[in-house]
Amino acid sequence: MENKKNSTADRELRLSRKLNAPIDLVWEVWTGPEHIANWWGPDGFTNTIHKMDLTPGGEWDLVMHGPDGTNYKNKSIFREIVPHKKIVYEHITGPKFLATIEFREEGDQTFITWHMLFESAEEFIQTVKTFKADEGLKQNVERLNVYLSGMKTKTQR
Amino acid sequence: MKARRDVYQAIADPTRRAIINMIAAEPHNVNAIAEKFDVSRQAISLHVKILIDCGLITITQRGRDRFCEAQLDQLSEVSAWVDQYRKHWETKLDTLESYLEKLKKQRYGKQKK
Repeated sequence: MENKKNSTADRELRLSRKLNAPIDLVWEVWTGPEHIANWWGPDGFTNTIHKMDLTPGGEWDLVMHGPDGTNYKNKSIFREIVPHKKIVYEHITGPKFLATIEFREEGDQTFITWHMLFESAEEFIQTVKTFKADEGLKQNVERLNVYLSGMKTKTQR
Repeated sequence: MKARRDVYQAIADPTRRAIINMIAAEPHNVNAIAEKFDVSRQAISLHVKILIDCGLITITQRGRDRFCEAQLDQLSEVSAWVDQYRKHWETKLDTLESYLEKLKKQRYGKQKK
C-alpha cells in the first residue's frame, strides 16, 4: 500500500503544439543559437547563448537576462539528437529535469511535443512553489499599478 | 524562525503523500497508519502532526480512537499553480510560433501567402 507506483505523473509536464511551419525551419530555429536567443523568452527577457554544442554529451549554456537586470544561468547537457525528430537534454542547474522534444512532419506543418520530467516530485513541487512566489510578486506589482491608476482617476475628477 | 506550514510543505515528503493517499480513501487512526509503513511510530506521528499543521488532516475523536481524516480542498491550490507553471512553458511555444511566422515572412516574402 506504500507509495511504490512507477507513475511519473507527479513530476512531469507535457505540452504539444502544431506549428504552422515546415520541419526544416522548425528544426533550424530550435538548433540555431542565433534563433533560440529570439524566442526562448520569457516575455521581457533577453537571452545570451554562450555555448550550444548539439551533440550527445555536448554542453548548452544559456543565460536569461530578466527585465530587472537579473541574470539566470541555465546549463544543460544534450543527451540525444536525432535530426528533424528528437532532442533530449538534461537541465543540470536547478531545477533539474530531463526534457524531450519531439518533432513530427505533417505536410507543411510540424507537430511538436515537449516533455519535461523532473528528477523527483520534491524538485517539481519546489519549482512550482518558487514559480508561485515569483508569480505572486508580479501580481503584487500589478495590483499596485491598478491601485495607483485608480488613485489617478480619482484625483483627476 | 517558524517552519512554514503550507500545502507544499505537506506534500513535499513521499511518506506524507502516501499518508494522504491512504486516508483519502478512508479515515485511519494513527496506529493503523503507522502499521503500514516501515518507519517508526514516532516518525509517523510527526508526519501526521505536520499534515495537521498544514491543514490537510483533521482529527476526530471516536470513542477511544483518534481518526485522521483528509482535507483535500487545499490540494487544488497546488494543481492551480502547476497549471500556471505549465502556462509559463506554453508561452515559450507561443513565442516560437510567432518567431516562425516572422521568419517565414522574411524568407518567402510576399510572393505567396
